[in-house]
Amino acid sequence: MTLWEATDHAMRLLLGGDESLWRIIGISFKVSGIAILMATPPAVLTAFALAWLRFPGRRLLISLFSTLLSVPAVVVGLTLYLLLSNQGPLGDWRLLFTQSAMVAGQVVLAFPILVAMGHAALQSVDQRAWETARTLGASFFKAFLLVLRESRFGLLAALLAAYGRIIAEVGASMMLGGNILDYTRNIPTAIALETSKGEFAQGIALGVVLLLLASTLNGLLHYVQGKGGVSTP
Amino acid sequence: MLNRLLFLFLSLIFSTSLLAGPQNHSRVIRLATTTSTENSGLLHYLLPLFEKESGYRVHVIAVGTGKALRMGRDGDVDVVLVHARSAERKFVAEGFGEHRFSVMYNDFVLVGPRDDPAGVRSAASADEAFRRLGEGKALFVSRGDDSGTNKKELALWKSAGVHPRGGWYREAGQGMGRVLQMASELGAYTLTDRGTWLAMKKGLDLRILHQGDPMLFNPYGIIAVNPERHPNVNHQGALALIRWFVGKEGQEKIAAFRKEGEQLFIPNAQPSELALLKP
Amino acid sequence: MNEKFALEVEGLRYGPGDRNLFDSMNLRLESGRCVLLTGENGAGKTTLLRILAGLQKPREGRFRLEGGDFAAWKKMRRILQKRVLYLHQQPYMFDGTVEYNLRFALSRSTGRGAKEELVERALEWVGMSGFRRKYARSLSGGERQRVALARAWLASPTVMLLDEPTANLDAESRERTLRLLRQLRLQGMTLVLASHDPHHFTDLPDRILRLHQGRIFHAAPPPTQKEGSAAVIPLRQELA
Repeated sequence: MTLWEATDHAMRLLLGGDESLWRIIGISFKVSGIAILMATPPAVLTAFALAWLRFPGRRLLISLFSTLLSVPAVVVGLTLYLLLSNQGPLGDWRLLFTQSAMVAGQVVLAFPILVAMGHAALQSVDQRAWETARTLGASFFKAFLLVLRESRFGLLAALLAAYGRIIAEVGASMMLGGNILDYTRNIPTAIALETSKGEFAQGIALGVVLLLLASTLNGLLHYVQGKGGVSTP
Repeated sequence: MLNRLLFLFLSLIFSTSLLAGPQNHSRVIRLATTTSTENSGLLHYLLPLFEKESGYRVHVIAVGTGKALRMGRDGDVDVVLVHARSAERKFVAEGFGEHRFSVMYNDFVLVGPRDDPAGVRSAASADEAFRRLGEGKALFVSRGDDSGTNKKELALWKSAGVHPRGGWYREAGQGMGRVLQMASELGAYTLTDRGTWLAMKKGLDLRILHQGDPMLFNPYGIIAVNPERHPNVNHQGALALIRWFVGKEGQEKIAAFRKEGEQLFIPNAQPSELALLKP
Repeated sequence: MNEKFALEVEGLRYGPGDRNLFDSMNLRLESGRCVLLTGENGAGKTTLLRILAGLQKPREGRFRLEGGDFAAWKKMRRILQKRVLYLHQQPYMFDGTVEYNLRFALSRSTGRGAKEELVERALEWVGMSGFRRKYARSLSGGERQRVALARAWLASPTVMLLDEPTANLDAESRERTLRLLRQLRLQGMTLVLASHDPHHFTDLPDRILRLHQGRIFHAAPPPTQKEGSAAVIPLRQELA
């Protein structure tokens, strides 16, 4: 099959609403969406604590998170696999080869990105922002929200970057989800499988979806970072 | 105020984990099988029939035979469907699996470039074909992934008295489909199961160069993970699946499965084993 | 204001180790009066103001705010942050419109209509009614100073501490700012102004404190001349 034929077939699959294809896409968005939703609140709190509070071990944590940034997805996958396997300490949860296991893997992957980029964003907020809020009588929570708002573009950039990583990630999803049809087969694991079978058309169709998604995220990221540039005082 | 934040966060986690919530385990059967089985399309054809009849959902995890047995050993799946006789025997003997049931067989074929530089087409036996491959040092792509096919291939080299080492012998560490593509791209030989071959041959620049030797016989066995080892496996589900596979309907459907008009698998459940499955 | 003193500090010390800025200073701010804190750069003016606003922790010191007495600093800090307003030398504008900046100072319990009216009144007071939808960070230094004053006024603190309120301003903006400060004092706001350059403020303060190397070096008596003719704008108490 030539590249052209495969691409042509791929487009017809995509536009024709091929059911199994769209189910795979749906699983990808569901799993990564849940993962990002679960990872963001604790990551933002952690980033805030690292940027605005002083406590022992803070520097250590900061360097720990930047180290975690470069841990390959397969290592995360393997570690969680060993934890979640029936032989592992969390085996009784019976989570291996479920969507929950994929979510867990993606949360672990997204967390350090969110913390590291969120930390950078929150740290760049002027100290006076917090002080002004507090001295105007704002509660701790209101001042916290204000600082988040002041760094919203940086935080959004962190969110997009983390989402971009986990939705395209194949190693951990493959290991933890098991690539089960209609359950844990998402876009990247499906691409891996389809190409291994020589079904290039479906691989290309899914690749196109990922590509579109990646360029959308990238465009948003650029837009957001441009915005962020304007808003610095 | 911090309390409110905490509450918000916890309720978020709670609600999303409901979405992602665990399935009802007793209705899900986790089947570890080989990529060749999955790639042939057989399970795609069989399992919906079984699911409709039994109400179970079967989650298929397709990996190499070695990994599939390993998952069974760890209790991470409920049942395994593989094709590596001696490893299966060991798996049962060590008490990880209950009993091996014969399900079906297909056979391996030796494929390679049309011009057949090593001249295996005229070999009289599998031994001779592999000997010629070793002597000709023709490029050979091996699965190299501890799969059933890989184990069979190594056994064939051994039987032929060839020590497959050197630049002509490439271990891919990939699934069957990928290895066939690599062999096609490289103009190399490889050993493949007939199912995957039939499913994929259209896109490949390869030919069958040797087949039919009894040594290339490829039997599939299905084994339930021993519930005494792993009390939390879905043993009832595993037995239901096995019963269906080796029973009348499963066997008929296996025989009826066609790819490109050809039958891929020959059912061979042993009536003597069926007695073990009576509830 | 039935208390004589809006804010009192006793035995204020600041600084790590054997450093002892403020040397157990005692300070009393009379309600509705204006104190000018002067002294060269590095004398500790900013530090003192920030401690009084609860933004910086002293080593020792006992605080009383409108008669309330809190021994624990944690507790005290919250009260100070709520009731004492500190205005940075360069006021910080939140990332938003002028209106957003002003609304931030209003507490959640203020009704929607009252909020709208207070914002409008604050803008009128500083002469910036047309600036409501402007992006706060695009404003000039003088305009920012006025937005910050309007914002501070909306927060209705007990005491306002202003750090170099006229520095970096041109003559016209400085006059405007001084006029607003005079009006604040006439409304009965307790004010502390810190400036290394006191001669701009001749008619404003009731008392002048000179800070030198962290000690009160000289306290000038209140000047006799006082201005009383500035137009008084309606107080927010009337709205409450």
